[in-house]
Amino acid sequence: MTRTRTPGISRRSTLALMGAGAMSVAAPWVARAQAKTIKIGMPTILSGRVAQLGTSSRNAVMLEVEKVNAAGGLAGRQIEMVIRDSKGQPQEAARVARELVNTDGCELLLDGEASSGSFAVHEVARDLGVLCIHTCSEASSLTADPKQHIPNAFRCVRQGIHDSIVGGSYAAAIAKAKGLKKWATCSPDYAYGRDTTGEFTLYLKRFAPDVEIISESWPKLFQPDYTEVVTKILQAKPQALYSCLWGGDLTSYIDQANIYAMFSQMEVFAVNMADYTALTVVKNLPKGIHSGNRYIKTFPTTPENAAWGDAYKAKYNEYPTNWSWQNATAVMFLAEAAKKANSADGKKLAEALKGLTIKCPFGADGTVTMRGDDHTLVGYAIGWGTTIPQEPYVPEVKAGDWKTIFELEAEWKKSKGYT
Amino acid sequence: MTELEAGGAGTLAPVRSGAAPGRYRDILIALIAFAVLASLPLFTGSKALLDFVIRCSAYGLFATSLNLLVGYTGLTSFGHGMFFGLGAYSFGLIMQKLGVPIPVAFVATLAITAVIAAVIGAICVRLKEIYFAFVTLAFQMLIHSTILSWASFTGGDQGLRGGIPRPSFLGINLANHVHLYIASCALLILGLLAMRQIAQSPFGFTLRMIRDNAARASFLGIDVWRAKLTVFVLAALFASMGGMVMALFVSGAYPEFAYWTISGEGIFINMLGGVSTFLGPMVGTVLLLLLNDTVTRFTEYHGIVLGIVILFFALGLRKGLLDFVAEWFSQRRDAGKGH
Repeated sequence: MTRTRTPGISRRSTLALMGAGAMSVAAPWVARAQAKTIKIGMPTILSGRVAQLGTSSRNAVMLEVEKVNAAGGLAGRQIEMVIRDSKGQPQEAARVARELVNTDGCELLLDGEASSGSFAVHEVARDLGVLCIHTCSEASSLTADPKQHIPNAFRCVRQGIHDSIVGGSYAAAIAKAKGLKKWATCSPDYAYGRDTTGEFTLYLKRFAPDVEIISESWPKLFQPDYTEVVTKILQAKPQALYSCLWGGDLTSYIDQANIYAMFSQMEVFAVNMADYTALTVVKNLPKGIHSGNRYIKTFPTTPENAAWGDAYKAKYNEYPTNWSWQNATAVMFLAEAAKKANSADGKKLAEALKGLTIKCPFGADGTVTMRGDDHTLVGYAIGWGTTIPQEPYVPEVKAGDWKTIFELEAEWKKSKGYT
Repeated sequence: MTELEAGGAGTLAPVRSGAAPGRYRDILIALIAFAVLASLPLFTGSKALLDFVIRCSAYGLFATSLNLLVGYTGLTSFGHGMFFGLGAYSFGLIMQKLGVPIPVAFVATLAITAVIAAVIGAICVRLKEIYFAFVTLAFQMLIHSTILSWASFTGGDQGLRGGIPRPSFLGINLANHVHLYIASCALLILGLLAMRQIAQSPFGFTLRMIRDNAARASFLGIDVWRAKLTVFVLAALFASMGGMVMALFVSGAYPEFAYWTISGEGIFINMLGGVSTFLGPMVGTVLLLLLNDTVTRFTEYHGIVLGIVILFFALGLRKGLLDFVAEWFSQRRDAGKGH
């Protein structure tokens, strides 16, 4: 019954041990708080049909963030990425973006959404006032339309209108040289397909006025069978064909059109061909398809670009996509803006981003610029070339002229009532 | 679907008849529920929680209205999502193009939905079972395709852009997060209360009779077609309200809102929560959104997790959660009486 002190651990030392335990558990958090980690949220598409593009965006972001963190982070703050799947649904994209900011404490957003999802995230940025860089949506109206403009949103993506201007002038030069007057088009039946095709033919006819469109086909998005479309085009006997099919649709189309030897009967201009996701999947890539550059490590022909493509391949065992370079560029912009502003604060970063020109492996002249008046990316490498069946797939790319792009883009904006 | 239909048509327990005291009790429960929800912002600063409740309001109205068709009338609609999308688009377009006060746009949207639902319903409710399901799906795809192709008006696949203007009315500013939250809660509670009254009214019991034996109802002098059409239009109105809440939440409207996947989610919610109790779909909504929000935080393979959950409910419980709980309670009570 007498209480004796057991020779084990005393209450005091137990408390001390518990304290030490708590400290060791909490230490990483304390350390993180001291280093003032900055969280960047990123909703993107990691499941479903375009998951490959979302994954390639995440890969590219992580590749660049590692570099920025190794060099000291954003104005001394280490970056922690919080990347979540939106399933490509706009309401999910909006929810995830809000959750990233409101619950996870993200101070900046990289919006890895395409099409409607990017507009949903744009509204979240408008609502919450958080700095947001769109990294995947090519819809020109996202930044060209002044109704969309907010001071805290930027777009670090190529644009449909730029592609059409360069594509139109490139195709017109070939049309004149080879006497291609009868053209057909074959593009997916939704806003991107219709707008891009409309703009391409507009500029094609502007540079080569005697071109005539004799056949138009509008297959459904994600259509599995193109036999009907292929035979319709072959019956019309055009001298050239334009298509803005992309991804799996483009590769199925080429595989099916190959059976009819379509590519030996006409010149084909497929703006989205020169992307490794398409180039490496087609069974027999025909020689001589004209394509715009999406991402190709041989264009721009600089050691920096080749090195970046190789580093990505070494790390992830696949080539980067168009979305990859855009996301990587967004991180590069953030790093430079933080240096310029000497801060990682969203408002100061937004000020610094306006009109900022940075060195970049994907720039037409080794630099790219975030244009100040409409917060959009310009000066990136853009051009067209022809395919060969094996690596490097598109050996030579003819660069587009940014002076012409700027002139015609200004005209286009006026015609749309944007300026 | 056979599971759901079996649950919807065969094994439903008779529902207690709703008299005036029941109505007062419902109103009291509604008031308490609203008071609890509305006071939430006083206790928590969590915007994510408020967002969650706003989304629950949108999907809850939608799923419960679908249950008016599936559970109460035995009409399994695969195209109910079209009214969710229609609500979001009509409201968004009216606010963007006409700039009228929000209540006017709200009423106008309900009127538009009623007219379109009456036209579509007049064609669909003549059909039964799988034919009804497929024709509603066909109309949904028609509306979805119209939204996609009428790009000059609807913005096509990029949706209604530029944000939905939310001017203040009667001191309510829906651009303010807390105001939007309380308005959504109010719409949810009012909507649920109205649907509860419909379900418990003589008309609601007529619907159950039609579900169980349409020929018998017809012999008793009930105009089955008219009753089905009426509930089809009423359900569309509440789905449209859900769409408006969603449009306000995301400040836009997107073609995905009118796509068949939204209808599929509605049916899935009903399966999760149960179709034989009034609040089953609401429980299903909370379950689905909770599952979605937690699983997507950790993995992009959420499809596998949700699939397993569906299998568990379809093969394991063989009914929705609230149905299962209700049955369990009644079995316990019966067992207690037996001793």
